[in-house]
Amino acid sequence: MIPPRPVARGREPVVITGVGAVSPLGNSLAEIADSLLAGRSGIRDIDPGPLARDARQFAAPVAVIPDPPAGTTRLEAAEIASLDRLARLCLVPTAAALADSGLPREPLGGRRIGLVLGLGAEHLKAWEIDFAAGGRRVFEPSRERSLAHEIAAAVGIGGPVVTAAAACASSGYALALAKTWLEAGWVDACVAGGCDVVSPTAIAAFYNLRALSRRGDDPVRASRPFDRDRDGFVMGEGGAMFVLERRADAAARGARLHGELAGVGMSSDGAHMVIPSTDPVHAARAISAALADAGVEPGEVDYVNAHAAGTPVGDVAEAAAIRLALGAAADRVPVSSTKGASGHLVSGASAFEAVACLAAIDRQAVPPTLNLDHPDPQCPLDHVPHVARPRTVNVAASNSFGFGGSNLCLVIRRAA
Amino acid sequence: MHTLPPTLRAEPPAACGITGHALVAARLSEIAALRDQPAPTQAPPLPPRFLRHCDEHTVVGMHAVLRALAARGPVDVSRHAVVAASCQLGRLTAAKTLANLATGGGVSVSPHIVPQCSLHSVAGAVSVGLGMRGPHLGVGGGVDSLAEGLFAAATMVQASAAAGDPPCVWLVATEWEDEPALDDAGAPAGDPVCRGLALAIEPDATDLVTDGGSRADTAGRLVAAARRAAAGGTASLSLSLRFPEPARLRVVMPAASGRLAEFARALDMCREGTALVSWALECPWGAEIRVSRRPADAGRAPQVARLREAA
Repeated sequence: MIPPRPVARGREPVVITGVGAVSPLGNSLAEIADSLLAGRSGIRDIDPGPLARDARQFAAPVAVIPDPPAGTTRLEAAEIASLDRLARLCLVPTAAALADSGLPREPLGGRRIGLVLGLGAEHLKAWEIDFAAGGRRVFEPSRERSLAHEIAAAVGIGGPVVTAAAACASSGYALALAKTWLEAGWVDACVAGGCDVVSPTAIAAFYNLRALSRRGDDPVRASRPFDRDRDGFVMGEGGAMFVLERRADAAARGARLHGELAGVGMSSDGAHMVIPSTDPVHAARAISAALADAGVEPGEVDYVNAHAAGTPVGDVAEAAAIRLALGAAADRVPVSSTKGASGHLVSGASAFEAVACLAAIDRQAVPPTLNLDHPDPQCPLDHVPHVARPRTVNVAASNSFGFGGSNLCLVIRRAA
Repeated sequence: MHTLPPTLRAEPPAACGITGHALVAARLSEIAALRDQPAPTQAPPLPPRFLRHCDEHTVVGMHAVLRALAARGPVDVSRHAVVAASCQLGRLTAAKTLANLATGGGVSVSPHIVPQCSLHSVAGAVSVGLGMRGPHLGVGGGVDSLAEGLFAAATMVQASAAAGDPPCVWLVATEWEDEPALDDAGAPAGDPVCRGLALAIEPDATDLVTDGGSRADTAGRLVAAARRAAAGGTASLSLSLRFPEPARLRVVMPAASGRLAEFARALDMCREGTALVSWALECPWGAEIRVSRRPADAGRAPQVARLREAA
């Protein structure tokens, strides 16, 4: 077990007052909770398109991107329709989260509101989308602004704006930055999270890296976190955005609290650009730091939403890290990976899985790991296979790990 | 109007010291050689051929960190964090990939494009190559990358300080001096210059007031100021962060190209203390980054002590 760190005390808690999501399993906290707890899968065959690697491809796509809630953006309907898929996947949950928060519109009540968008390969995706549509943006010199700034302008956010990229942990890092801004008093509210889009180049690159599952004959059963027969992950798209505020501020305006972002922990393996370290101490440091930040002991964790994407090396490394960080408590804390249902949302994964934690807290049940037929003995955890498990969930921890050895853990607590 | 708790309004802004910096610039034609160039003496060595698949931004960014580390002398970097702010990282590789994809299909896509040419890649490479095991992340991606990078680096210093870690956060900012035009195969016209600037940033509660102004004068600014140490005569730089009140929020146009070189030059002049320098970058959200030389202030010591006790 990692030696205990000093426990954070005396700070104003940071709470979640708005949730917006666009995902393969639904476009709101309630829809996603329903899907996860019912064990529905969002994975299916997709149109391979003219640039695809193979004639048959599968993923967890967003079926239909909804419009942003009425009156939440400064854009005309035609302007929204003209945005590319990535921009709409990021704009809609941002606008929905602000609407859900009940923060006053225009000019957002005079508050200092920031935006942190977790998005790891924005320009690669944007250039590809443009190229597929016959454009030449990638070939032409330009001084383009990032999507985050365009979205901030579209929803009327005038505070600091940052795009955060930590590969598959990007949206978790976005939440970490936002939490720090709030704790330091630099902003009054912050919209944070992340989203991603499935693209032919991304599928080809991950496939050629041998990171993707090759179970093309049975897509729904292809994503198999912690299973003995897992062979890689399945790409998904979408993500989630959250409105974060200090609890006193939220209480002062009578806001509904979805939960508390109680702790964040971050670390790096410093080992390899792609493969997670086999030494669990580095990822475990992130988990322990998040628990310390939240003032939570390992035995107080009611649920761990694992990163577990279904890769042979990554799942084993994470299981070891969870055991190292939680110690004896690891024998009795239920662990599941929702990627069996949602696929891997890459930049949006951490934010989507934060929604899964809120769902567990809201519904008092642990979402299952789909397709976990034969738990890998190298991943000795209290798994929740196939079917949701009713349980008191007041504290949930969510891991996210990314290329470059990036490790992040969020601790989400029922709001007091 | 909603009001904030007074205790939170009184929270001090971030204050950081810049304890080292270095700029590396290389033409595209020189980058192949730079990939295999050994680290300078006194900098930690990289694993063999570590940079062979990296994006050009990563190559110059890594060498900027190595150069700054060499200037500092031996230091344990194992708990250091990295923030990398890159403008349009990966465009050359993306253009070649898309050109090939149209004719060769998915099998032609390099498996390195995601790990090596995404926004996180510079930070990841510095973390992996040098064994820095604090957090690492990439920020920006567009023309506002430098502002986002400074802001995010200050955030990471703040987060580490709050967690009780002794942090050093490396900010690695990279850009093409002029974004190159590419032909249909993705090859650039001319021989463009890629720049990487590395800053070592550590907590410093001593520079809450800068360039002779009062706190009210500097509200809404992110300020980098030169500070000459009272003893020893060595100059150092500091970075502090201030925010505009909502009424002062404004949007400004993105910075023109070449700001990285200007910023590096201003940092050099401040460090050397040889010239009066004032340089500013306006952030899109109304904050300001300012570099200026600041004379020694003998009356600072009691305030520093109080601030450190409070921390």
